[in-house]
Amino acid sequence: MVSSLFINPFSEDAREIVRNYGSPDTIFEASSALLDTVKRTRGQNLDDNSLLPGSIGELAIKRLEWYLRRQRKGFDHGDYAYLMNPEIEEYDVIAFYVLAQAAGAGFRRGSREVRLVVESAGALVEDRFRVLGSERAEIIEEVLIELGSEGTGWIELSELIGSGKLRLTDLILHRGRVVIDEDEFLMTFQDRITDRDPRSLYAALVGLELKETLISRIIMQKTEDYIERVSEMSSTVEPHPIIIETAERIRETVNEVTSFRGGPVKSAGQGKLVPDAFPPCIRGTLDGVKSGNRNDAIVLLLTSFISYARLYPSVFRDRTPLKVSDLDPDLRVVREEILPIIYGAAERCEPPLFEDDPQEKLNITAKLGFGVHDELEPEHEGESKWYTPMSCEKIKIHLPDLCRPDELCRRITNPLTYYNRKRWELQKEKSEQEGED
Amino acid sequence: MFEAATPLERKRYYREEWDVRKLPEFIARNIHMREFGFDHTGRGPSDRYRVFDDEKRLSRFMRARFPFAAYSSVAFYREPGKRRGWQRSELIFDVDAKDLPVRSCNCEGVCETCLDEARELVLMMVDTLRGDLGLGDVHVVYSGRGYHIRVLDPGVMELGSEVRAEILRYTAGARRPRRKFIHSGESYEMEHFSIPLGYHRVFTERAKHVFLHMRGDERIENVTARTVREVVKNRELLLEDRWGEFKRRIGPRVYPRLVAGVAGINMKMVDAKVTIDLKRILRLPTSLHSKVSMICMEVKNPETFDPLKSAVPKFVHERES
Repeated sequence: MVSSLFINPFSEDAREIVRNYGSPDTIFEASSALLDTVKRTRGQNLDDNSLLPGSIGELAIKRLEWYLRRQRKGFDHGDYAYLMNPEIEEYDVIAFYVLAQAAGAGFRRGSREVRLVVESAGALVEDRFRVLGSERAEIIEEVLIELGSEGTGWIELSELIGSGKLRLTDLILHRGRVVIDEDEFLMTFQDRITDRDPRSLYAALVGLELKETLISRIIMQKTEDYIERVSEMSSTVEPHPIIIETAERIRETVNEVTSFRGGPVKSAGQGKLVPDAFPPCIRGTLDGVKSGNRNDAIVLLLTSFISYARLYPSVFRDRTPLKVSDLDPDLRVVREEILPIIYGAAERCEPPLFEDDPQEKLNITAKLGFGVHDELEPEHEGESKWYTPMSCEKIKIHLPDLCRPDELCRRITNPLTYYNRKRWELQKEKSEQEGED
Repeated sequence: MFEAATPLERKRYYREEWDVRKLPEFIARNIHMREFGFDHTGRGPSDRYRVFDDEKRLSRFMRARFPFAAYSSVAFYREPGKRRGWQRSELIFDVDAKDLPVRSCNCEGVCETCLDEARELVLMMVDTLRGDLGLGDVHVVYSGRGYHIRVLDPGVMELGSEVRAEILRYTAGARRPRRKFIHSGESYEMEHFSIPLGYHRVFTERAKHVFLHMRGDERIENVTARTVREVVKNRELLLEDRWGEFKRRIGPRVYPRLVAGVAGINMKMVDAKVTIDLKRILRLPTSLHSKVSMICMEVKNPETFDPLKSAVPKFVHERES
């Protein structure tokens, strides 16, 4: 019988397990019971010992490693099959807290490492739901109650909605409440449903799918909140050395898996910018923007677009979070090519952006991932997130005057995707012409 | 009607007709926490960062300066005169009749028809805010050329721009509704009009509003002019909610593109910048919209409100007689 522990590390039972575990001293000590469970997992690759976590500390790192590797070419599910084995649930709960505490103690809010730990928590929940058989529905109901999301109001989920983890339009709302319970759904909407079975409509609109999404997003949010609390506490209470060691292991794992060596990331290589492939919104921004739109256009849109277009145009395809310095170690390209383009466009604004908003230079540095500082300094990298370009949907809201869609815009949802597509088309045209010549 | 007011007319309005006691309660109760802005010349609100400790001081200012336009912030600040110490902001939806991308009239600015169509849209949005989102303290204000919906529900006042944008998408019907569903392991499709609840119902209502008010010459993203004409030709079906037949006439392959296009139009029916801006100043209810000589005023009953009866200052009647 699978318990809710397998899905929800925030239940009272899970907290009890962590409380009973006591001091983290033994986190990296070998656990034969854990190793036995891992080895007994059906489908687990056993030919390489480095794949198997022999301690709870290693299990914590493997959770993250699994997330980092699962999108990669050549990923073998058998390398991490034990993560989908409900029998590891008690070890896994402790591993979860070790990982989250290490992220909170070792990294800043908004850093790549924190983001990856949060995302891995959500992804693991989603994948685990897929392996649950007949118990799936029962576990879902149990976890929903544990998370307190039955009969919840959408405002209580506003953090999830604001961060884009959940869409308001995907929820079934009635008088501010999120309707997820079948009886409540029937009671509320039965009279409106005339030409189909209300139960099957409930199953389609809410059913298990929406509930699972809700659970995984709430767990992500709770993980983020927990990491933040640990981070705040770390400023007053010295973290345990084992937790600091785990943070170091997180750093090494992230660097090892994501560092660009021309191999694992398909096409992260930089390339010269091709201005002819810029979408209309970027061309408009480069020409200079009038007050009202200036700040968002330069700081949010142009900074992220130019930096990714120049250094990492395939970010959405590769889905591997890299840092600027992974691609431009001495930051020469950023300083000599990227910033001059952004500053030039800021100068062409009406009135020039930095004339009355000089602090926006700090925001540009922050959006490149180097925190709120005047200059780009390698030691500040990771203090903030390297922002990816906002989607066309967001541009339409934040910068409607710049959105002048052309034919190609209709087929894409992000200006960077436009750039890649257009670049490919231009290249194709060129090679065809050369062929004709 | 709808002519600009002269400085003399403005002066008469603020001295003879305007009364600070008519200020809506939701503005008056926290007047000292709001930033005020004024346009004295008709070229935009250049006189900003003004603060009034009470209604009396505001009254004195208005009577002495009879501004071209008056605004107050949707935000509440600890130091409104410096726009510092942001505490919370009203949630705003701005429906401007002159900027509606779909309206059945052909007028240059605003007219009775498009003002009424803006009101219809506002009524639907208020219904969604209250019914689906469960929000209270919702006020409708006639702005002079359209309507503002101002929400002061404590649940939304502290929300950030991204959540506000999401509320806007829901309330305006500005996202293409989901079509693909999974039930018992099988994937299948359902159109928005066959789901009579939640966001699908909201979208269906907004789409119907758009289709019924089109003139036939509108441009819808990714949809041909011929399809737009087909929509206009067959829209009578929607009066009886015969959506299935309507879709068949448009063509099952074209219909999803039409739906996506309508979501885009719905987004343009409301000024999104106003909704996501936490520090916006908004036309002050009771003040004069001097460009069109109409009174910006809180609407107690949007169902029956007629701006041409209620929001016309006395000097316009005298001007006409």
